[in-house]
Amino acid sequence: MTTNTVKMTTGIVNVRRRRGGGARRTAVAWLFLAPFTVVFLLYTAIPTVAALGFSLTDLRGTDLRHPFAVDFTGLENYLRLFRDQSFLRDLVNTAVFVAVGVPLTMGTGFALALALNSGIRRLRGMFRTVFFAPVVTNVVAVALIWQYAFNDGGTVNKVLGAVGFAGPNWLDDPNLAMPVVILLGIWRNFGIAMVLFLAGLQAIPRDVYEAAALDGAGRWRQLRHITLPLLLPTILLVSVLLTVFFLQVFDEPYLLTDGGPLGSTESVALYTYHQFGAGELGMSSAASFVMLVLVAVVSLVQFRLLRSRT
Amino acid sequence: MPHSLRRGALRLTAGIALICTFALAGCGRGGDTAATGTAEPVDDSPATGSVDVWAAQGDADVLEKVIEPFKADNPDVKVNFTLIPNGEYYTKLQSAVAAGKGPDVAQFFPESQAQFLDPSILQPVPDGLVDKGTFFKSLWDAGVVKNVAYTVPWYAYTYALVYRSDLADKAGVKAPTTWKDTVPFLKAMQDAGAGRGLAADIGWDIFNGQDVAMYAWQAGGSLFSSDGKWTLDTPEMAEAIKYNASFFTSGAADTSTPTFLDAQPYFTSGKTASMITGPWVIGQLDKAAGKDGWTASHVATAPLPAGDSSGASFSAGGSWGVLADSDNADASWKFVRHLAEPSTQVAQYKAYSSLPAVISAWDDPAIADQPLLDAFFTQMKNTRAFPQVTTWQQVATRLGKEIEAVAKGTESAEKAAANVQAYAESVGTGAE
Repeated sequence: MTTNTVKMTTGIVNVRRRRGGGARRTAVAWLFLAPFTVVFLLYTAIPTVAALGFSLTDLRGTDLRHPFAVDFTGLENYLRLFRDQSFLRDLVNTAVFVAVGVPLTMGTGFALALALNSGIRRLRGMFRTVFFAPVVTNVVAVALIWQYAFNDGGTVNKVLGAVGFAGPNWLDDPNLAMPVVILLGIWRNFGIAMVLFLAGLQAIPRDVYEAAALDGAGRWRQLRHITLPLLLPTILLVSVLLTVFFLQVFDEPYLLTDGGPLGSTESVALYTYHQFGAGELGMSSAASFVMLVLVAVVSLVQFRLLRSRT
Repeated sequence: MPHSLRRGALRLTAGIALICTFALAGCGRGGDTAATGTAEPVDDSPATGSVDVWAAQGDADVLEKVIEPFKADNPDVKVNFTLIPNGEYYTKLQSAVAAGKGPDVAQFFPESQAQFLDPSILQPVPDGLVDKGTFFKSLWDAGVVKNVAYTVPWYAYTYALVYRSDLADKAGVKAPTTWKDTVPFLKAMQDAGAGRGLAADIGWDIFNGQDVAMYAWQAGGSLFSSDGKWTLDTPEMAEAIKYNASFFTSGAADTSTPTFLDAQPYFTSGKTASMITGPWVIGQLDKAAGKDGWTASHVATAPLPAGDSSGASFSAGGSWGVLADSDNADASWKFVRHLAEPSTQVAQYKAYSSLPAVISAWDDPAIADQPLLDAFFTQMKNTRAFPQVTTWQQVATRLGKEIEAVAKGTESAEKAAANVQAYAESVGTGAE
């Protein structure tokens, strides 16, 4: 480890700009950047700017044939959004997704990573694959299976029935549908959290633990005073990734419940989609911008809070 | 965590934004092309050139085969089909129209095509191309705006009551003719052994909205006033919403009835005893039951029970239009004319069970000899078209959402009707 650090440092120090050939090097750099830049401009930057523009108009699906007839309405769409009870409800739903989903996904991923990092070394590869499988499984297929599992007469209720409980109708109950949707979100994402935590844990030098053990630190103290502090950059990364995911959660509620019952699982992303489907392109753009701002602000706050400790 | 999936909604917005950007940049179909559509008569000479046809997957899957006589009679024409998944069809068509890259001929759905009935998008149907009197009136009317017809009907369907005759016989009940008799009929079949009397559609979407709109007509209401205003918060609409909710509150249907794919196996296995559905199911139930002849001995059909005013249903199906931008309007209209012929529509029925929009084609023995289709034919003659305004789809979708709360007892029918009216007023009618 020490050798590596020295090498890396030396490498950085030795990087020097050669005299001459600067323009050529810049041109080569741009050449390599060009594919990304073009794709970024076409599919991200221009549409984002255009969407911002559309959010300030009364653009509807049917206006696509007369785009010049669209009226500039200023912040009207944003005002309509915040007057719309269903949008406010969806903001709360999204907050619940984040508040419940992120800590539970992180906790599950971290616990599994700890387990895999300490014992059962021989089977680590197999378990890693098993727990990572949900991340790479087709979400549509998964959602279909979940739908059947949580149906009135589905697998879950059959299991509950076998042990003497009458299972509820999970996906049709506004109070129960949300937990099921969140559970699917957690199930799909804990694998990536686990892999990232595992990588972080394996990067912590073993000699630090050995030294702590010699000084009499037990497992709990080691976890609190060595593992967690040294893992902070990974925790930051995972928390930001998961927060962004749950803020934009779309696939799970869309596929399992389409936002129902009674809108209890509709997220802001799903609201955006539904507005789009209803032909309200201006409103849809405005909602997507609110989401963009939310994601930006929350990520920034997380970075600030956690970076100061790393 | 695949980012690409996560950003589905944003991407969708971005995608349409891009389309609009191109449109704004001048690639779009401008308002100045609005009046280019002509209604010149189409002669009987063979069609030539190529015709690009867009259709939604489903009924159109068999078209290549169905139009073989057309290709034989018009050897110099080439018909290129592009089939697009149903759920994406209008979005793709709308985008293509905006970008000026649409096909020559496109399929539409009479119940939701109003947004396309505009001379900047579709050419008027040429005089004398077809005889409008040969089609079901509501289907033809669905393509007419300001006395100009833009689409020609292709196939037709409407909803009727499909029920388990064996269970009804066991219970000693006959198909209901009025709203008042409906729930007792459903409950009687339930008592005779069915899991639920009715397999209710529980998507709470545009299709539910259409159902309730149909019940509003039956109660004597109308969705739209003669002076062009939404009339959705009427007592008749509230009655319609209550009628729909009564299936659930009575226990004749529940909110966990199967999804679309399961509807038929549930029906054949007796988990449900009836469906309010389209005629296509008749041809599919034997397969779901796994036994030839099962349908004939277990199923009966009846027109929809009537409300205070009538038993009107809505007309739906498929239709065709020729785009204003088409470079080969002559051959395109000849193709559409061929699809409107009774013999082609019977061939389409034989190939895919799509029932004809031309009334005389129902006399063909292939259809006339099927007693279970009689109720649909009777119902077809008692249909109405949905409002021909561009925002109807939006309003029907909201209506479908609102009635969920009433069915689950968390909102009153009057409040739901008022909410839909407020929404409909806010989106307007799309009139320019």
